Amino acid sequence: MEQAGVGDRWRPPRGRHRLPPEVVARSQRERLLEAAIRVVAAKGYGPMTVGDLTKEAGVSRTTFYELFEDKEACFLAAYDNAVDALVRRVTRAYESEDAWPDRAAAGLAALLETLAEEPALAKLSLVDIGNAGPAAQRRYRAAIQRLTPLFEEGRDFAPGGRNLPANTSRMAIGGVTGLLSDELVAGRAERLPALLSDVLFATLVPYIGPDAAAREVDRLKR
Amino acid sequence: MIYIRNGSTLAGPMAGSETRRQQILEAMVRVVGRKGYKATSVADVIEEASTSRTTFYKHFEDKHDCFLAAYDMAVERILGEVIANCSSEQSWLDRVRVGLSTIVELFALDPELARTAIVEVAAAGADARQRHWNAINKFTEFLEDGEELAGGRELPDNIALMAAGAVSGLIFDELLTGRAERLPSLLPDLLFAMLVPYIGPGAATAEMRRAATG
Repeated sequence: MEQAGVGDRWRPPRGRHRLPPEVVARSQRERLLEAAIRVVAAKGYGPMTVGDLTKEAGVSRTTFYELFEDKEACFLAAYDNAVDALVRRVTRAYESEDAWPDRAAAGLAALLETLAEEPALAKLSLVDIGNAGPAAQRRYRAAIQRLTPLFEEGRDFAPGGRNLPANTSRMAIGGVTGLLSDELVAGRAERLPALLSDVLFATLVPYIGPDAAAREVDRLKR
Repeated sequence: MIYIRNGSTLAGPMAGSETRRQQILEAMVRVVGRKGYKATSVADVIEEASTSRTTFYKHFEDKHDCFLAAYDMAVERILGEVIANCSSEQSWLDRVRVGLSTIVELFALDPELARTAIVEVAAAGADARQRHWNAINKFTEFLEDGEELAGGRELPDNIALMAAGAVSGLIFDELLTGRAERLPSLLPDLLFAMLVPYIGPGAATAEMRRAATG
């Protein structure tokens, strides 16, 4: 994916112009949200200051405080924004297929590709979120919940799926995030797409068992 | 509190210093478990340990340095309990069951330890998270023999990590909502999560039922 640097982004012309104020504000807000992801990735949430954000986004301090209460509010909005885009992309990929294993494979492939393309976002969403306090942690759990249907459909697909424990999707998600975090903590986001087979196995296995899961992974690899 | 005591060295001045250090680590586990890593200050820790700032800085560079040592101690303690309760005569299934049950019982009795070891470690910086994953990998060594049980199936190399991820994810969720004392009731589900990649949902459900009734 082509990624626009800060310099390439459209900005409202300086000085007198006739853009409606809400358009200017929206662009400034977006720049701040993007800046928050980059700054947190570069220096971590704790040391990040409002000054870093305004500098990176090219907006004034006054503007910042018109848009956000503090750095946490800006960060949480950035996080929501990024997760929203991620979940939309995964859902689109997932809904393009029919059978559950194929749907899961498509959704997981989209997830891994997005995370590999945007290592800053990947590390932020899965690894550094704990640094940003309890509100951010709750946001993270909520984001994960939104991906639950991708897993939970396995219940209808699997013979005897009704008898599986209520927590089955949380287990599958835990297995997947365990695999991803291991790479992300080691700073190897670019290697995530290579994990697709393992991640798919981890998703399928609680529902259909290791034999069927291995068969599906083989079939989908081809 | 479990201190590693060695009768022969306790008498010397160095041993006193080591005991002090252990007390500070213990205090760090307590305070972080109660207040969270971010909100914890060196002042809180020395107050909890009834020691001086000078003593603290004799042993540790800063709060972060002390936390890492405290985390290592917590992992050693949890792993030590698990090893103490397991024996090589037990089957793999029994060891998994005893290991998991040891962890959830320990966490239920000591919610501060649980929060520090599972939740707060995520807030303590990149090197702390690295240690956390190293610790999880250490626990997964326990699972390696499961491959025998899988009956010659070709299993992914990462399978132990998946199982451990599923288990720690469930525990993390439960602790995040502050219900450490309810962890033992989660044992059947944890057992299912741990076993299912190896033996499939049918057999894992049977084991889960056995754990729920026994």
